[in-house]
Amino acid sequence: MATERYSFSLTTFSPSGKLVQIEYALAAVAAGAPSVGIKASNGVVLATENKHKSILYEEHSVNKVEMITKHIGMIYSGMGPDYRLLVKQARKMAQQYLLVYQEPIPTAQLVQRVAMLMQEYTQSGGVRPFGVSLLICGWDNDKPYLYQCDPSGAYFAWKATAMGKNFNNGKTFLEKRYSEDLELDDAIHTAILTLKEGFEGQMTADNIEVGICDANGFRRLDPSNVKDYLANIP
Amino acid sequence: MSSVLVPEIPAPGFSFDLCQRNNFLSKKGFQVPKAIKTGTTIAGIVYKDGVILGADTRATEDTIVADKNCRKIHYLAQNMYVCGAGTAADTDMTSQMIASQLELHRLNTGRIVPVCTANAMLKQLLFRHQGHIGAALVLGGVDLDGPHLHCIFPHGSSDTQQYTTMGSGSLAAMAVFESRWKPGLSEEEGKELVADAIRAGVFNDLASGSNVDLCIIRKGSVEYIRPYDVANVKGVKQSSYRYKRGTTAVLAQTIRPIIIEKETICKVDTESMDTSS
Amino acid sequence: MSILAYNGGAIIAMKGKNCVAIAADRRFGIQGQTISCDFQKIFEMGPHLYLGLPGLSTDTQTVMERLRFRLNLYELKENRRIHPKTFSSMISNLLYEKRFGPYFVEPVVAGLDPVTFEPYICNMDLLGCLNVPVDFVVGGTCSEQLYGMCEALYEADLEPNDLFETISQALVNACDRDAMSGWGAIVHVIEKDKVTTRTVKTRMD
Repeated sequence: MATERYSFSLTTFSPSGKLVQIEYALAAVAAGAPSVGIKASNGVVLATENKHKSILYEEHSVNKVEMITKHIGMIYSGMGPDYRLLVKQARKMAQQYLLVYQEPIPTAQLVQRVAMLMQEYTQSGGVRPFGVSLLICGWDNDKPYLYQCDPSGAYFAWKATAMGKNFNNGKTFLEKRYSEDLELDDAIHTAILTLKEGFEGQMTADNIEVGICDANGFRRLDPSNVKDYLANIP
Repeated sequence: MSSVLVPEIPAPGFSFDLCQRNNFLSKKGFQVPKAIKTGTTIAGIVYKDGVILGADTRATEDTIVADKNCRKIHYLAQNMYVCGAGTAADTDMTSQMIASQLELHRLNTGRIVPVCTANAMLKQLLFRHQGHIGAALVLGGVDLDGPHLHCIFPHGSSDTQQYTTMGSGSLAAMAVFESRWKPGLSEEEGKELVADAIRAGVFNDLASGSNVDLCIIRKGSVEYIRPYDVANVKGVKQSSYRYKRGTTAVLAQTIRPIIIEKETICKVDTESMDTSS
Repeated sequence: MSILAYNGGAIIAMKGKNCVAIAADRRFGIQGQTISCDFQKIFEMGPHLYLGLPGLSTDTQTVMERLRFRLNLYELKENRRIHPKTFSSMISNLLYEKRFGPYFVEPVVAGLDPVTFEPYICNMDLLGCLNVPVDFVVGGTCSEQLYGMCEALYEADLEPNDLFETISQALVNACDRDAMSGWGAIVHVIEKDKVTTRTVKTRMD
């Protein structure tokens, strides 16, 4: 890698002290499809829009909700290809941890490691930052967890949050709707409602994706399941 | 791309740092100690609805029984298990590593991993190490194409069979299979046949012993029975050999209480994402 | 002669009722010659976690330091105490990495779960093959003798004081039949609220 030594990081400080590449990455996220995460008392829900530009598109072929281990799942706003690389790496990190400690990786540890990877892409030569923000949900020791990971490598623990297009509206909506003793079913309902805010066109089970994580682990909801939840929405 | 100062993850693969020293020591006449071997009788059959794997539970360190109830049927995936004979550490670790790779494969492909994939991964790993990883395996599982049974040798060759045995007790177990196995066995017949084969190993091979473990893999379900049969029940002690308190002469005693001085739970307030600019 | 017998030493751990005990001899020798009789083979890795490393002394100390490094990083990173089971996996991982040029130690772990205070013991061979029994584990030069003593003396659910007698007598009498170990013994009994460390009188020949 002789050439790498001479290639410098694309993420460099502007004279005013900003890392504009990271800001551009955040802009890519803010332009991406909206996604929502809500922590309930007995689980976590992740939901995102998965709209297709053409009716010719084969639905449910490429998923946005992905499982990392049995008890951790992930969604994103931003650029799909970048996301898939992170999913693959996250799965590897989880398996690596399991091999060394024979214990499933705590969600916080996975988030920390993924965030570290994202940080490295802001400081390394020849690479650009990831154009995605992640929502990572998990369940360990009988407690739900919800984290957001940004392109800068910053990560946050949330009770509920929204990312992507119109995330500010989504967050305001959640602030009004959120309560501590929310049950998982209500949380799924609220998550779909949040996505509905500013949703263009008809929302169907084929253009949103929902994942939930509780004591039984993480799973992506079937379109038929999502349909049942949509039926309860005015 | 991990940090230069403290590598986040140690370099992958085996480390050969100590080989030179150990070779030197063995030239001086200090032999390298014996690792724990499973000795082992392991067996597997295909029956009507799936695969049955069986194993004894003795681990030996030369002639000493190191573990009386050792687990030799290892998890690989939801539809696959593997029995290991040979160096215990090798069979344990090999199955763990392959299980991990299979899980990644399952997540990345989003389908049930075929048994032949596991077979290929195992034999490639073993061949790569040219027989130095001492693992003789019986791999069984059920996938979309039905039940499969493979036996894999430490040098990386493998066979696909309807019934197979491995380990030091393999001859005893195979004798049972050769006389009694037939196609389309029922589950009950299959379980008894495998258990009998393992028992043949337990009672005729010195390196196999203790209990019989079984693992029945059907399409969509797995039943892991441990122990299926306690072939040798330990007798109850006739009297207590307990020493009276104060028998042992104590020279010095220190008691260190474990005191939790303070417990603080620090709740981190989540700050909102800075997207101001 | 096996290299494990170069320095000599024996370690044993037993499960009791809500407690565990771990004991070792204190001899440090070079083959037949005894150098000292206050050698440490059991290390405190946490308030409720003890690690015994019988084998070649240079590796005893190296492995302990490498493990302490990994353990400290783990506990700092995760901000919690390690579970003995997790710690054992960590050791197993460290040893198996050196599969083709192993450290000459046979670790013994004894501890209580940091949350539930459930007793835990295990040992492994020099390649890191875990063995987690319900009663006792042994390691070192006189493991044959120790196995015999333990099979005869061990009873389930012993109180801390009885467990001390049992483990001490097992160790002391086994070491009496082994030239390579002995010369004093140290016994730790680990309970939820305290750790009792006793040095025990033995033959000094």
